[in-house]
Amino acid sequence: MRKFKLMSLLLALVMIVSSITACGKDDGKTADGKTKLTMWCIATESDSNRHAYEEAIKEYQAAHPDVEFTWEATQNEEYKTKIKAAVASNEMPDIFFTWSCAFLGDFVDAGRVYCVDEVYKKYASELPAVMMGNVTYDGKYYGVPTTMNIVGMFCNMKILAEVGYNEVPGTYDELIECCDKLVAAGYIPFGCSGKETWCVTEYLESIIEKTAGATALNQIFAGKASWDNADVSKAVGIFQEMIDKGYFDPSGIALGNDEVKANFMAGKYAFYMNGTWNCADFAKSDIADSVKVAEFPVIDSSKSKLGELIGGPSDTLAVAASSKNAEVAAEAAFELGKAICHYGYLDGNGLPAWTPNYDTSSLNALTVAVADIVAKSSQMVLFGDTAMSADRANIYLDYVSKIYSSKINGEEFVNGLVKDIK
Amino acid sequence: MTKLYSKKSTIILFILPAFILFVAILVAPIFASGYYSLFNWNGFGKKTFIGLENYRELFTSDSINFMKALGNAMLLAAFSVFIQLPISLGLALLLGRGGRKGERGFLSIYFIPVLISTVVIGQLWLKIYNPDYGVLNVALRAIGLEKWAKIWLGDEKTALGAAFVPILWQYVGYHMLLMYAGIKSVPPEYREAAMIDGAREGQVNRFIVIPMIKPIIKISTIFAVTGSLKSFDLIYVLTNGGPDHATEVPSTLMISMLFLRNRYGMGSTIAFLLIFLCFFFALLIGFAFRDKEVVA
Repeated sequence: MRKFKLMSLLLALVMIVSSITACGKDDGKTADGKTKLTMWCIATESDSNRHAYEEAIKEYQAAHPDVEFTWEATQNEEYKTKIKAAVASNEMPDIFFTWSCAFLGDFVDAGRVYCVDEVYKKYASELPAVMMGNVTYDGKYYGVPTTMNIVGMFCNMKILAEVGYNEVPGTYDELIECCDKLVAAGYIPFGCSGKETWCVTEYLESIIEKTAGATALNQIFAGKASWDNADVSKAVGIFQEMIDKGYFDPSGIALGNDEVKANFMAGKYAFYMNGTWNCADFAKSDIADSVKVAEFPVIDSSKSKLGELIGGPSDTLAVAASSKNAEVAAEAAFELGKAICHYGYLDGNGLPAWTPNYDTSSLNALTVAVADIVAKSSQMVLFGDTAMSADRANIYLDYVSKIYSSKINGEEFVNGLVKDIK
Repeated sequence: MTKLYSKKSTIILFILPAFILFVAILVAPIFASGYYSLFNWNGFGKKTFIGLENYRELFTSDSINFMKALGNAMLLAAFSVFIQLPISLGLALLLGRGGRKGERGFLSIYFIPVLISTVVIGQLWLKIYNPDYGVLNVALRAIGLEKWAKIWLGDEKTALGAAFVPILWQYVGYHMLLMYAGIKSVPPEYREAAMIDGAREGQVNRFIVIPMIKPIIKISTIFAVTGSLKSFDLIYVLTNGGPDHATEVPSTLMISMLFLRNRYGMGSTIAFLLIFLCFFFALLIGFAFRDKEVVA
């Protein structure tokens, strides 16, 4: 019995010691001395950026045989939860996809993100400093932007032709007239997902911007001006009037964005306002020949003008401060960011944050049109849910959701935000 | 060997691994949630001690609207107890009587939804409820009830009910199996004796079988109520708490606080309250059934 007890104790001791040594062994290197790098992103199989990520990673792996690179992609909404949980537990991958401004800012404030100032110097000639604005905190750079996107009004010209339009309505009055004709002819002018509130903001923010002006909206998102703004209230009224007049698919409130987008590509809606990352998918779809993109028309010309856009560089790669190979990871983030930008731009997933020094003649017509809109732009307002801190952004999204379901009016919207966003 | 088992040190040694796991996995997180609920914390930055402020805000803030989420969970609990469990009991009594053709087959069929992943069930019901091509609206239109066709998950008036149906449906089989096992353990002599005395099947069930399976019914009720309070997955897949929080339950609100609004302190407050409520209702149900249990 004594021997049996002794043997049991010995075995238990061996197990404990081996598990402790196994835990402490990870030095960021593989058994054969390769540097281990991991990356998380949102380029899932169905994501329009998937191809760009695959090509960029393939290139990086070929150029760096000394690095064992692994990556995984998670669907957009789930990813937000996943990365925040990882940041909270300090169990982040070496490189991670993030949205710039406030989203990344929270992680930077917590000291979880590696400063890439030194590595940036090497790439400064290809990545203009102006593109680094949304990843700059206290004068230091904490991320690598890939592509930039704006909200575009995608139009199915085949449907517009049915009601006598050969061009996208250029003014707000023309747009309203066009929508009335579409409704009268039995078409649904707009499709918008109510299940994913960020899709509603693509409409609402464009309308607010073209009513109150980009400067006013920027000030509000930055917390430098109050939500208590008569123009914001008026813009909400305009948006709700459009809903009341039947311009929006009523089913949209229960649908996800993928379903609404599929409906647009199936020819169910005349217009679809969403990010210009959709250009690639539309250019490859059955309605490719009939889709055009434009910016939302000006509503109040005394406060806004064409060229004031919603969007900006937001898609970003950042490096974990806890990475065992932070310097190598930072180099990799820049290399990958540049390549993702390159392939993403050529695929039509947005505009480049990096200066393109390659042949762009194969670009699809929609992306070229977006580039033209951006080239003529005078001011951009970053997406509200990215520009504001997580808590404020979600309170804002809650109120936007109430607007879409016509539960509150413009006045209640601004009063609620004034009360709840401190 | 008997001597070894009677030694206190041996008993402690054997209990210790399970005790450590119990404390580490169950007790410690409860205390950790209680501790974090006293802070204003985004989960990764600096913590600020605010005492019971999170609890005050939870019950008073319109932007959080916890009472609505709790009300929804209580409504689900009521539906579970008064609709789901009677259906389960009815099916269990039908099958547990024995001698019915295809008894095992029916058991398996009713239990299938419990085995299927909740996400799959969510996707299935999303398709059923789809306003354009969903089978529900298509069927209503086909039989001339077009005005009854609705945007089931997008309309605040119907979303909660529409989200509850799959939740109740999924676990009918689970409770049925628990009760079926209880019914099968009722000695057949009791049933036969009652039948000889002229009792009808309904009377046998009412006066003999149901009283004898009350401990099982108590367990099912506890599972149904605490399960309703903790319900998350199907609501998350079907509506994610929307439209406009109409289907919000405490768990979806907690996830929203923790990971969308970066309010780790508030999320911990909801978690702590959920644990408290689950314990409270488990004890309350136990108390309600205490004096009425029949020892088989």
